[in-house]
Amino acid sequence: MVEKNSASPGNPPKRFLRLRQFLGDVPLLAWLFGGLISVLIEQQVGERLANLLGLPKIPVLFGFMLAMKEPLLLPGALAYVLVLYILTIVLIGKITARPFNLMAAKMIQWPIAIPVILHLVVLYAIMHFWADISLYRELTLKLTLIAIMLTLSLNIINGYMGEFSCSHPGFMSLGAYGASAVMVLFFVNDRLFGDAILPEVLGPFLFPLALILGGIVAALGALLIAIPSFKTRGDYLAIISLAFMFIVKSLFENLQFLGGARGLKGQPDLANLPTVFIWLVICVWVINNFVRSTMGKALNAVRDDELAAEAMTVNTRRTKMVAFLFAAFWAGVAGGLFAHTVRFINPNTFGVQRLAEILAMVYFGGLNSVYGSIVGAVSLNLLGEMLRPLALFKWIIIPLLLILIMIYRPTGLVAFKEFDVRKLIQPKRKPEKEV
Amino acid sequence: MPLLQVENMTHYFGGLRAVHNFNLEIEPGQIRALIGPNGAGKTTIFNLMTGIYTPTEGRIILDGQNIVGLQPHSVASRGLGRTFQNLCLWRHMTVLEHVMMARYSRLTYGLVGAFFGTALRNREEAASKAKAMELLDLMDIAHLADQTVTNLPYGAQRRVEMARALASEPKILFLDEPTVGMTPEELDQMLGIIRTLHRDLGLAIYLIEHRLKIVMELCERIQTLVFGEVIAEGTPEEIQKNPKVIEAYLGKEAVH
Amino acid sequence: MQLFLQNLINALQWGSFYALIALGYSMVYGILMLFNFAHGDIFMVGAYIGFGVATGLTALAAMGTLALPNWVILVLTILISMFLTSFVGMLVERIGYRPLREAPRASAAITGLMIGIILETGNLAILGAERIRFPSLIKSTTYDLGGVFVTNKKIMIVVVSLVLMLALNEFIRRTRWGMAMRAMAFDYVVIPLMGVPLNTIASLTFALGSGLAAAAGIMFAIAYPVLDPYIGIIYGWKAFVAAILGGRGSVKGACLAGFLLGFIEIFVGAYMPSSVRDLIAYSIILLILVFRPHGFFGEPHSAKLRL
Repeated sequence: MVEKNSASPGNPPKRFLRLRQFLGDVPLLAWLFGGLISVLIEQQVGERLANLLGLPKIPVLFGFMLAMKEPLLLPGALAYVLVLYILTIVLIGKITARPFNLMAAKMIQWPIAIPVILHLVVLYAIMHFWADISLYRELTLKLTLIAIMLTLSLNIINGYMGEFSCSHPGFMSLGAYGASAVMVLFFVNDRLFGDAILPEVLGPFLFPLALILGGIVAALGALLIAIPSFKTRGDYLAIISLAFMFIVKSLFENLQFLGGARGLKGQPDLANLPTVFIWLVICVWVINNFVRSTMGKALNAVRDDELAAEAMTVNTRRTKMVAFLFAAFWAGVAGGLFAHTVRFINPNTFGVQRLAEILAMVYFGGLNSVYGSIVGAVSLNLLGEMLRPLALFKWIIIPLLLILIMIYRPTGLVAFKEFDVRKLIQPKRKPEKEV
Repeated sequence: MPLLQVENMTHYFGGLRAVHNFNLEIEPGQIRALIGPNGAGKTTIFNLMTGIYTPTEGRIILDGQNIVGLQPHSVASRGLGRTFQNLCLWRHMTVLEHVMMARYSRLTYGLVGAFFGTALRNREEAASKAKAMELLDLMDIAHLADQTVTNLPYGAQRRVEMARALASEPKILFLDEPTVGMTPEELDQMLGIIRTLHRDLGLAIYLIEHRLKIVMELCERIQTLVFGEVIAEGTPEEIQKNPKVIEAYLGKEAVH
Repeated sequence: MQLFLQNLINALQWGSFYALIALGYSMVYGILMLFNFAHGDIFMVGAYIGFGVATGLTALAAMGTLALPNWVILVLTILISMFLTSFVGMLVERIGYRPLREAPRASAAITGLMIGIILETGNLAILGAERIRFPSLIKSTTYDLGGVFVTNKKIMIVVVSLVLMLALNEFIRRTRWGMAMRAMAFDYVVIPLMGVPLNTIASLTFALGSGLAAAAGIMFAIAYPVLDPYIGIIYGWKAFVAAILGGRGSVKGACLAGFLLGFIEIFVGAYMPSSVRDLIAYSIILLILVFRPHGFFGEPHSAKLRL
């Protein structure tokens, strides 16, 4: 999927047009199939290929980290990525385009759920085999998926609704502490909460409930902000939510039964890759449903002209409250998953730095767009991991990149694009010559 | 009983009296106008009746119910549709989305439908879309349904606003200077549309204008507002001859 | 009573820091309707520039090249650093805000946030993570006023801050530039059409705010001579909230809210464990904002994010 270069909708350069011409008829399923083959090949012969190219081991994140530690390995890493990912995927995608197009044409007639589930299964298989190579890959992948949830939920407020909310780390921490407290209380022998109450076998069954509980706690927190904020218009929410974030942070610093400033650790290891993936799919599905309904589009109406929205029978205050609580809920769920992924949280995890990170992902990817949130979260997360060897300079490069994006595309890379599953999975035809 | 009845509506902004003792009765199917020079308070009267401001004094009765103090969206969903003088469109939304949005209060699928895409939701959204397309057809802009409104020419934007106002299925339609800034050609078309709404759909229409000529052609009864007070009311002919109106429009010298 | 007075003096000192920083936020917000999230880090940069200037001048004095008495060095440090930091502020405006003048305001806030991160990281990269010591320019003398102890540093800090605030107030109220700034705060769409140069006013606003932040930074460094790159985050965000509490673009309001914040923090710290300080400070501010949505001296306005 790396080279699925959806060139900018404005005026793509000529080279991109040719590439589009060449790859335009490859349906999504063929891409996914190519990806699956490529990760399977990597699993079988990746080690050997890496050795052949003079690399000590399989490049974990597309060879970036290796190349930065030892620049001499750069050609090898590049060759690895080129052969194993890009060439394989393009080749297989192109070859299988015709049969998969026929298949897609057939599937689009069926109830939409069937082809969607099929695509998701293949997508998950790709992630699974890719992450199988190393624990580090798995962790990075899980954190990226969680970041998508956070970004998407903040996009509801900052993009679709057009307010500026700063309280996402606060909601995240409410969810994280809520879910962790339940799970640690029931399933872990812990210094703070005492012995486990329930047998460990029940853990996976109670975990979703704990996450939902975390989400609800976050939504209740959001209610505290929403009640005063949505009476007044303008920048009010920005300030209130910022203060709220600091309040939540120092509240947890002072709640000794939740570990205080030292934090809470030892969450059961239940947030495995399939769990995180399923939650992400549910999150994207529900949020996308919402923003595509007239009730969700009411948010856009409120953002673009609140008075007109009221005059067209939209209950603007209720609309804003619902969306805000909804977004907070998902931030809370993401927080719970985050806590069980890294298995250690403390109040400092949810400070200004986290806020800057989430905001950066939202604005990088694009406002008012599910695609944008996915692009933003994935690219900034992977970029952050890839640039890790640069240590400090990572925090100069990423902000600079974001400033450039803001200057040239102030609403982000893929803003205002509707996420239409049907369009995504339908069979593809070659684009017209004169696009 | 009249469809809309306003009794002794008075409004103050701070200490400033913006509207004084305003009365109005509109029968079903009637077309009336409010005229007056710029700054007379015409739009304020609209905003008072549609719930954007709450009048300091007075009663507004729509279809037998007092609507004073209701939120604008409740007023709107009770059957009072409106357009705006300065085109309040949603700049990132398509034409179709605009018209569908106005059917917001008629959707019953609730949050469950919105989140999980239930069958009820699909049905209601489809019905809403069909109704919206019908209205776009009526306005002759069905071919623009998927365009973002900011890309449209001014006349088309006016039609979008009109279609949007109709989509909430109002009993009475308030038009705030629907022909402002139009070319003569667009103006003729707009007058045609208003006549269609009145004749074919039987809508009651209340119109703000400051150009006498237009209301003379359209309306049965006209009120003239100056400095927040109605100085004259009557048929177009009566208004045309009324010396107070001529004075307000042309200055004192013109009367003599 | 003595304890109260003692705390009062501390609160005045902290209030001065917050008020001076808050002024910069408040002016940018008032005049350009922007959240300048980089301002906290400009305060930090100001403190570091002050450190550089002070160290340089002390070294010159020690070598005998430029034998100045300490108080002259102090005055020079403040003036030179304010001047230099103004340029940092103007640069931030030029790079991060001016290209985004037509863009949604939220995007400009994001560039501000990113510039803040760059300033912090840049500082870490250049000077390393160790904390640095600010040279002591004034010998600390403590006066005993009937059981209440006041140091000359504290007196100086409060006095200099008040002088700067008054000077700013006079500048905005009496000069032509100040008038242009007030006009811009009133309507930044129409006023530029009347021939007031928007870019110049924006630069001026950033320069003034940054200068004040630099003064705050140096005085902070005099009171607490150990600097690290994160002072901008720690105190900047609080000052930001204070600025908003003061009301949009109100000099009076920002000062008042800054001092209020200082008072809350010191008195909470005095009577309660210090870990609840932030909790209570932010909660009080939140409560005030709930009941006075436009802050102390703000007027209702309804600028939505232009998207």
